[in-house]
Amino acid sequence: MKLELIDYLIIAIYFVFVIGIGFLLKRQVKSANDFLMSNRNIPLWITSLAFISANLGAQEVLGMAANGAKYGLYTVHFYWLGAALAMIFLGVFMMPFYYGSKARSVPEYLKLRFDEKTRTFNAFGFAAMTVFSSGVSLYALAMLMEVILGWNFDLSIWISALVVFGYIFMGGLTSAVYNEVLQFFLIVLGIAPLVFLGLHKVGGWEGIVANVQDAKLHVWKGLDDPSHNPMGVDAFSMVFGLGFVLAFGYWCTDFLVVQRAMISKNLSDAQKTPIIAAIPKILMPAIVILPGIIILALQNKFLGFELPVNANGDANYNMVLPILLQKLYPNGILGVGITALIASFMSGMAGNVTAFNTVWTFDIYQSHIKKNGSEKHYYYVGKIATVAGILISILTAYVARGFNNIMDLLQLVFSFVNAPLFATFFLGMFWKRTTGHGAFWGLIFGTAAATITHGLTVAEGKGGWIANIHEFYSGTSQAFNIAWISFLVCVVVTIVISLITKPKPEEELVGLVYSLTPKQTDSNKIWYKNPLWMGVAVLIVTIVFNIIFF
Amino acid sequence: MNKLYDLRIVIGIFFLIIGFLLMGYAFFLDGSLEENIKINLYCGLLFLSFGLLMLLLKTKRNRSN
Repeated sequence: MKLELIDYLIIAIYFVFVIGIGFLLKRQVKSANDFLMSNRNIPLWITSLAFISANLGAQEVLGMAANGAKYGLYTVHFYWLGAALAMIFLGVFMMPFYYGSKARSVPEYLKLRFDEKTRTFNAFGFAAMTVFSSGVSLYALAMLMEVILGWNFDLSIWISALVVFGYIFMGGLTSAVYNEVLQFFLIVLGIAPLVFLGLHKVGGWEGIVANVQDAKLHVWKGLDDPSHNPMGVDAFSMVFGLGFVLAFGYWCTDFLVVQRAMISKNLSDAQKTPIIAAIPKILMPAIVILPGIIILALQNKFLGFELPVNANGDANYNMVLPILLQKLYPNGILGVGITALIASFMSGMAGNVTAFNTVWTFDIYQSHIKKNGSEKHYYYVGKIATVAGILISILTAYVARGFNNIMDLLQLVFSFVNAPLFATFFLGMFWKRTTGHGAFWGLIFGTAAATITHGLTVAEGKGGWIANIHEFYSGTSQAFNIAWISFLVCVVVTIVISLITKPKPEEELVGLVYSLTPKQTDSNKIWYKNPLWMGVAVLIVTIVFNIIFF
Repeated sequence: MNKLYDLRIVIGIFFLIIGFLLMGYAFFLDGSLEENIKINLYCGLLFLSFGLLMLLLKTKRNRSN
């Protein structure tokens, strides 16, 4: 792929704009509250788009196109089964507790609801996960640019990291959120023409139907048996493992995305943020998954669309989007496409760094190192945490380069930690008897159960490091099953320990637990502006999509 | 300067610039590359329209305020 002056010009203009946004916002950021929480003053349309864009990182854009080619339309379960329901649940049921409790972060909610040790466990785990994720994002960006454009690996790492650092350091969370909105539009408008050109070349949807195997063009067909569908999953692990545990665990408890809703102007906007974000989210498969299916049809009709193979001799599905960009985009729009890819990496990295600096400052530093510092003091701590977050990300990127498997290992560890977390929140919010000891040990045992299940099962040659007692059809199936097992273990342990330990007095749980919190009456007389009805509308559209592509 | 704090202005200007660049580039391309000209021209128009829409939304909002 060879870029020309016009392409470089577009990339340079993008860099100028993202840095410019940080520069413009610099004067408005004067306190820790401004820098780390945007003073809870961001308009609804921006929080909604930032909510979805914070998740639109490299793994999403490149990874979902890869999954589209590997698993076909089954990949949309991540959107139409998982994300949609979870985002509506977050908006309608969980946001009132996050926002209403005045917690500044998800770990801080755990402190208010349970105790300090549960918060600290979650805060340290989350802080480590975010900086490592950010580093993996950086590594993936530099690798991609080296492979497809021949750019220098070190230069890609340092320029990208410096740009992200520049706009976060100057404008804080507001700058990251504003840039996420710009990045969202750039990713959608930069990749949409690619989908259009691909569809046009292959002969429209009819061309796809004629050239792609039928099993990859259905969402639910073949779920009766793992061997009947391309993802190799069974109905239970798909619905319970992905649709409930993993999706709700990510969308309802991951501070990276929840933070975007928590900076809304008021509770009503905070509730609407994930629900409005669900509208573009259920349409995103057209941008991120469809390219993977298009390339399958193109491979069948034309030469030159074959995917390169990796060291194991397997097709490198991560190259779906770069190959389509190379083959379908001429210079000019190619610059926009490459910029969209860079934007997705930077969006993922900035989201992680801003979540990291907030959790570090409020949940680790303020809670364990200096309790009664001034606003100005925490403002500087937040800025230093930003520098540290970026530096650790760069270090992680270099470590990832030296040890290829570290990416797999990190993602595995993340899934072990995330899976049981939703059980803790779910029980904490909806069962007033849940205690801090129950929550803490539930998390420990849930995480241990995930690790042991991975050690006892094998999929695609991975896992089974203790013994091999079961083999899954695919790694995805293994991940879904690990998720529901660790969730159940966390639920059981939390309930048992809660029943034998002393709960918090009920008056301390008002505003934190569903049954003890006065129900809000929405002042919106117009029904379609009510979060519940908005959620129902999104749900109906999602169900219709599932039926159309059954 | 304060106007630039509105994100719609920033996004609008960004896509206007990219739209103009793509359209301008399409006009300078060799006539034999008809397909490349078309793609850049139409994408440029798309970006230009989106940029204008963002600026229009900002203007409408100002009036209603």
